[in-house]
Amino acid sequence: MSTEQIYLDYAAATPIDERVIAVMQTYFTDDFYNPSSPYMPAVKVRRAFEDAKQTLANLIGAKSGAVIMTAGATESINLAFNWVTGHVVVPNIEHHAVLRCASALSHTIVSADSRGYVSAEVIKEAIRPDTQLVSVALANNELGTIQPIRAIAEIIKNEREQRLISGNLTPIFLHCDASQGAGQIDINVARLGVDMMTINAGKIYGPKQVGLLWADSRVQLAPQIVGGGQERGMRSGTENVAGTIGFAKALELVIEHRTFESERLAKLRDDLQRTLTSAFSDAVVSGYEKHRLASYLHISFPGIDAERLIFILENRSVLVASGSACAANKGTRSHVLTAIGLAPELADGSIRITLGHQSNTENVKKAGKILIEEINNEYARIKR
Amino acid sequence: MVKKTKVYVGMSGGVDSSLSAALLVEQGYDVTGVYMKNWTMDLPGVKCPWADDLADAKRVAVQLGIDFKVFDFQKEYKQKVVDYMIDEYKKGRTPNPDIMCNQEVKFKLFLDAALEDGADLIATGHYARVSNSETEMSASVSKEHLQPEFSKAPGPLMDAARSRSEEIGAGSSVHGYKGVLLRAVDDNKDQTYFLYRVTGEAMAKTLFPIGEFTKPQVRKMAAERGLTTAIKKDSQGICFVGQVGIRDFLSMYVKQQSGKIIESKSKKVLGHHDGAIFYTLGQRHGLELGGGLPYYVVGKDMDKNEVYVTTDLNNDNLWSDEIHLDEVHWINQAPADGEYQIRIRHRAPLIKAFLKVSDNSAVLRFDNPERATANGQSVVIYDNEVCLGGGVVN
Repeated sequence: MSTEQIYLDYAAATPIDERVIAVMQTYFTDDFYNPSSPYMPAVKVRRAFEDAKQTLANLIGAKSGAVIMTAGATESINLAFNWVTGHVVVPNIEHHAVLRCASALSHTIVSADSRGYVSAEVIKEAIRPDTQLVSVALANNELGTIQPIRAIAEIIKNEREQRLISGNLTPIFLHCDASQGAGQIDINVARLGVDMMTINAGKIYGPKQVGLLWADSRVQLAPQIVGGGQERGMRSGTENVAGTIGFAKALELVIEHRTFESERLAKLRDDLQRTLTSAFSDAVVSGYEKHRLASYLHISFPGIDAERLIFILENRSVLVASGSACAANKGTRSHVLTAIGLAPELADGSIRITLGHQSNTENVKKAGKILIEEINNEYARIKR
Repeated sequence: MVKKTKVYVGMSGGVDSSLSAALLVEQGYDVTGVYMKNWTMDLPGVKCPWADDLADAKRVAVQLGIDFKVFDFQKEYKQKVVDYMIDEYKKGRTPNPDIMCNQEVKFKLFLDAALEDGADLIATGHYARVSNSETEMSASVSKEHLQPEFSKAPGPLMDAARSRSEEIGAGSSVHGYKGVLLRAVDDNKDQTYFLYRVTGEAMAKTLFPIGEFTKPQVRKMAAERGLTTAIKKDSQGICFVGQVGIRDFLSMYVKQQSGKIIESKSKKVLGHHDGAIFYTLGQRHGLELGGGLPYYVVGKDMDKNEVYVTTDLNNDNLWSDEIHLDEVHWINQAPADGEYQIRIRHRAPLIKAFLKVSDNSAVLRFDNPERATANGQSVVIYDNEVCLGGGVVN
């Protein structure tokens, strides 16, 4: 990342922490062996790999069950759904991976409210006797709204109990996609009460194409990639040793600094939000402000073409995300913004700003100034 | 202050239309970029293929500081271009959707929508030129198109662009004059073959800012201006068919049906195909008849679903000294009978032919037999640099 560039899209990708690269390095060169090979140098690699997986399990508070290494969150999510034969319940603001997995099965899509918040109550109402899986993201990837996972887990636990009482042996589990938020809020599976969890190294300053699915021992996963039987047969293919070791280090680092970093980012974000909303009185902030990831600011400027704004900002070395991909095609306006009922002119004028490690008072202030300048220019151009 | 001439330039996200927009800005026009959202096959679960092109177009518009709009022609494009193409194939003909796209969408729908929206002229990144016989008399009234900063632009390329602007920007703003379509300077890129069904009225309202330049010049000029699309690869093939190819595309609309591949002289069955619709006269590839001499399609029977082939390059069906054209279209008035040059496909060499024009049809005769053309294919007729029009082989 060049020094004058102000990157404000940490929810899309994060630069790898140098300490993460440092621990991965040797597994590309000196310790390149296949962990399944019999000789000692390979056995050492296997042990390092298993240690990293144990570290990952410990960091998410998984005392039992299986950690399956995957090539990222999308694969983990697909694996979390692959065993299901019955009905599933998912909110309408989930990531496309969740929505598409659900759409291939018998499903109920429940609605988030205008803040992108999914109440435990709406989940409860959607559960049927044949529901096998409920999948809810820890935090929404466009708005940063944090979902009440503990409360939803309670609902699932009660349902499980009720089924046993009534003699219904259909299993029901809760999967949580914690791709967003892993670096900022608690992801302890025991405390959250989830049965499956997806996390992703690429969003926490680790390598891309590395993810994991943790599943409680009661979940009978079904493999989607078969072959040599690695990862308990649930994900065949020579193990990504460097990626897994890097992932463990990355997760260790973000969890270690989580409290401090969240407070730091929240302050930067709040300042930026104040700056922008006082400059533009009709700007609309979306998401649940009280239950929102510290790094997130989703803000709409009515009448502005967000996509255009992104290219303008890019020329000023400020990189942000558009709240609405494919904005020109009404059919493909962001499903999240449509789901929360954001008016089209607000959706099309919305940007997602997400802060991270390199964000500081100075560059966030500077970004705010540039944003105000360029948004004013755009308003002037439109009025012309 | 004199109001600047307002030009809406079709921007596809490629280098040609990007540079076109940049040149128009330099020439002092009031430029608006327009992305035409044409029909594409958006499959569920597949990243929308046009999003990157739209983003590229928009990024260049932002770079140039011009307004940018999206015109949605999906419905019309599907009807007028895609459905037409499928219908033609079903009839056993070989249509050209790019020609239909120019006739129906770019130089009709887009032109009308742009004028309706307040544009004086439209522009596209085609390799072609327009000349207007009335320019001389009207040039004097239209000097206001030229902005001071424009005249400072250095170099021979800019001189070419300037003279072009004087020539066209001027005449075309005057009502009632027809534009004459000319071949591009870059013979290798000339796109007039695809443009022969436009009207003289449309040409009078059209600018082709890069028609004076060669492709390498265009890339160089785009790079000099720091346009982000300067090194972008050219798009290949028919846009809405995209990556899948015409055969796979048609398979989605036409039921595959096995039929015989027959040697045309001996009537011997050489093998089988999965639909005569997929074969076109003169086609050499895709017959999968094994080694030996290559086979060429010399005919097909759509009713019997049979394809006739030969290895004999001298087969009568592969050559003809006469072409009959239907659905003849002239950009301006119909030409007199006589000797002209014709082109039977994009980038094909110009061939000398004697033209005899009737009402809606025409006959072309050659001194020596030429490779045969397939039904549905377009033949375009030139009088040296001038693209007169053409027709469809029947």
